[in-house]
Amino acid sequence: MALPDSPASPATRQAKRPMARYFLTNEFGLAALIVLFAVLFGVTAQGFLSPFNLFALGRTASINIMIGLAMMVVIVTGGLNLALGAIGVCAAIFCGFLIQDAGLAWPLAIVLALALGAALGSINGWITVRSGLHSFIITLATMSIFFGAMIFLTRAQSYRGLPPELTSFGRIKIVEIVSPLLVVTVVVALLLAYLYRLTALGREMLAAGAKAEAAELSGVRVGRVFIICHMLSGAIAAVAALMLTARNGAAIPSMAGQLGQDWLLPAFLAPVLGGTLLTGGRVSVLGTCLGAFLVTMLTSGLLLMQIGEFWIQSFLGLLLLAAVLIDKSRRMLLDRSKLS
Amino acid sequence: MSRVTRVLACAGLALSVGSTAVLAADDSKFALVPGGPHPYFSAWEQAGKDAARDFGLAAADYKVPQKWELSQQNQLLESLLSQGYNGFLIFPGDSVGTGSTAAELVANGAPVIAGAGCLQDPSDAAFCLGTDTGNSAYLGTKQLIGALGDSKRIVHFTGFLVDPNTQLRIDAVQRAADEAGAQVVQVIADIDAPEPAEEKINAYLAAHAGEVDGIITTAWVPAVVAANALRKIGDKRIKMVGIDHDEVVLQAIKDGFVTGTMLQNPYGQAYIGAFALDKLRSGCTVKQDAPLMANALTAKFIDSGTAFVGADGVDNYVDAMRAATKALFDTFEATYLTCQ
Amino acid sequence: MSPGLSRIVRTDWFGPFVIALAAIAIVAAFNPSFLSPLNIQVLLLAISINALIAFSQMSIIAIGQMNLSVGAIGGLVAISFAGMMEVWGFPAPVAATLALALGLVCGLLNGLVIAWTGISAFIITLASLSLYKGINLGITQAQPFYGVLDAVKAFGQTNVLGPIPWLAVPTAIVALLLWYMFNRLPVGRFILAVGGNQHAAELSGISVGFTVTVAHAISGLLAGLAGILLVARLQIGQPTIGDDWLILSFAAPVIGGAVLAGGHVSIPATLLGVVIVAIITQALVLFNIDPYLVQVVLGFLILGAVGLNRFREARLERPAGRI
Repeated sequence: MALPDSPASPATRQAKRPMARYFLTNEFGLAALIVLFAVLFGVTAQGFLSPFNLFALGRTASINIMIGLAMMVVIVTGGLNLALGAIGVCAAIFCGFLIQDAGLAWPLAIVLALALGAALGSINGWITVRSGLHSFIITLATMSIFFGAMIFLTRAQSYRGLPPELTSFGRIKIVEIVSPLLVVTVVVALLLAYLYRLTALGREMLAAGAKAEAAELSGVRVGRVFIICHMLSGAIAAVAALMLTARNGAAIPSMAGQLGQDWLLPAFLAPVLGGTLLTGGRVSVLGTCLGAFLVTMLTSGLLLMQIGEFWIQSFLGLLLLAAVLIDKSRRMLLDRSKLS
Repeated sequence: MSRVTRVLACAGLALSVGSTAVLAADDSKFALVPGGPHPYFSAWEQAGKDAARDFGLAAADYKVPQKWELSQQNQLLESLLSQGYNGFLIFPGDSVGTGSTAAELVANGAPVIAGAGCLQDPSDAAFCLGTDTGNSAYLGTKQLIGALGDSKRIVHFTGFLVDPNTQLRIDAVQRAADEAGAQVVQVIADIDAPEPAEEKINAYLAAHAGEVDGIITTAWVPAVVAANALRKIGDKRIKMVGIDHDEVVLQAIKDGFVTGTMLQNPYGQAYIGAFALDKLRSGCTVKQDAPLMANALTAKFIDSGTAFVGADGVDNYVDAMRAATKALFDTFEATYLTCQ
Repeated sequence: MSPGLSRIVRTDWFGPFVIALAAIAIVAAFNPSFLSPLNIQVLLLAISINALIAFSQMSIIAIGQMNLSVGAIGGLVAISFAGMMEVWGFPAPVAATLALALGLVCGLLNGLVIAWTGISAFIITLASLSLYKGINLGITQAQPFYGVLDAVKAFGQTNVLGPIPWLAVPTAIVALLLWYMFNRLPVGRFILAVGGNQHAAELSGISVGFTVTVAHAISGLLAGLAGILLVARLQIGQPTIGDDWLILSFAAPVIGGAVLAGGHVSIPATLLGVVIVAIITQALVLFNIDPYLVQVVLGFLILGAVGLNRFREARLERPAGRI
């Protein structure tokens, strides 16, 4: 997973200012695409601008964004978390179990479910750090373990006895078209932006992700920071799953597909479109949000226009390919202009 | 392009309505939505076309989510509602998790009927029209036990563990076996995909063929794989009862490797479902005292018919399905609906 | 290199070999029917196809990358193979050749894009996974092709000799060819050199781009072959073929001791990894172990294997001064 040598070295040599400019362009590009497609779909696709569709779009996007953020916080370390779907489902099922079978109050159950997500995430982090292996293979294994154990313990049972406070959360509308789930997502995104911009821990995460050895020398406890990143990923995945639970009105073992694999594509699409580097050390919260929103909107628009539902997945694959190619050529242009 | 075809279709419909004049051309635009792609549902497409023609509907379109994934189905349903579809026959992607989407559709004025599989009570679906999966498994097991000799050791191959029907089937097979003094030696689940089915069923038969007298399968793919496996071993001592009407299973029945299969009635589900949706939209309601049945999921169940087909009936099984559809259809309105 | 026993102990396939032998002995002790000809045949069938899947991933692990699209390529080739027979009425050899060529092209595309852009293989193959799977769904509308010719079905069902099925023949040939390539041919050495140290390889005059492309083309070809064999075995062109290959494709090479960083793979050890997975999967069925637990066991197996490899690596490298 090595990136070519040319862009990496000048990028680290140069200060943060040109990087900020680059992020700006990337996010601006995404926003422009979103506006462009919104206009296109608004004109051509029947029902795209109907209040219900806008509401449904925002609700689906809020969950996809959350999934993207859960992956993003691990990508910062240069790693990844294939188990995030499995962790999310485990947390949601645990929440359902606590409410329905253990009779806990729902706020307490949510807190405990988030704690479980964080705990499972930190297991990933701990094994990764202690073994020194790439998180890819570790989370590939834990994905299988977490999901299998959950299915074993619950006998694949769904939990439907959730209180109306929780289930109506997925259905109520603020001013006709805004889902409260979207509000949750915005809050989490703002908190993450705050973390990376304004806290010492956030800066340590970025430093450790960019150059672990250098960070270690300058006093960052890299292992601890990586574990915290994985923990955060687990917790955010749990939030995403709880949001999906609210939207479905039930905690269902199959809600992220077999082994939670169905979350993987949205999880990578959003941060990669958003300009987060897979090698770690750089992050764009806004970009991830916009990337996830763009993907959700394209899916929705294509469904509405009834252009071969079966081709949507191909289209998303091409989109991802196009995005990384454009990103690559832009970075090359940027490098060339810097040289001259 | 799709719009052109739609206009053409509408024109064609207008003509046919003019000629048959069953009902005034209405704005009823129904969607028949399975949980995902599966050969079982292919009969729905033709049934929808037939229903649109016979009852003068604007459309009764068969719309397939591209994967067996709850969120894909939910997104498709949301999109269809935005496109102006106003009645839905849904195979719940999850008997629990589809409930909240169904509630939303109904809240937007589109009646919902659960087809082929039920929503768990309480739900907003008018009723559930389908095969009682538990009952079908029970009857199939009874047939199998009837075909066995003195030694009654049964193995059960079934579908995905995340599908709640799977547990119902496992329980029903166990119940039938207990009643007849048979022994369920083993349940092998999670094999409704060809590869794991191939691997596990063959592995099991290779090691245990001598310790088993009968095979009951309660999912499409395991039935096909098990039928093939028996043919390969060339063993007619082991009796088997399959499910559904895959060519492989039917041929195996003809050749004597499989005792019989439990037919379901997908065509009737879609045809009668579309008819009922039209009635519900025009102001009919489900009768207070309608003879709805109860199954493990819901108290609003209507049996679309299930039948055992053995070697004697395998050639004209289609007629059996048609007859079942006609019998149910002829009395449907009088039995289940109140119309002003 | 020290001679004798210690050399055998040190070979990469020794550990998996002992584990496989032990597993066979234990399972057979508890359940003698495990070694019946029929059961051996079933095991070989599973191993034949899974080995190709594992080899497909192994070729990419050798250059220190990963290929998420192994399953998608296998699925696309499988449905093309069945589709060409059903829809266009092609004879089986023609359909198989064309379908294999398609697999090669899919892999080639992966390789070319990765080599040309230098973007990580993970992202490129994630995108192409989605693309290939999407094309598969678009063509089939997620419905299987049933028109598999009888000759193909027979190939998937009959044995060449005793309990050895025909399906094992292509796999055996592929294993030999791969072994020859990695150990005797320049291109095999190039692949391992690039995987071991890309800079050093480049400095010594190896074209990294070319090598990466070749590795991906091989991977695509092998994934395609696995897809075709699976069609013969399942007797149906299922669009879902390949959906669950990902974990398996990594599990077998890793259990066989492949170093994920690249530069070191072993054909016999990977094959033994496949054997171990097959034995364990079958043992769970034989011993009536809760089917819910299969996933958990597979996960722990991967963790255990990578942990063990890590430990072994550390011990072997200690003289060189690493931690």
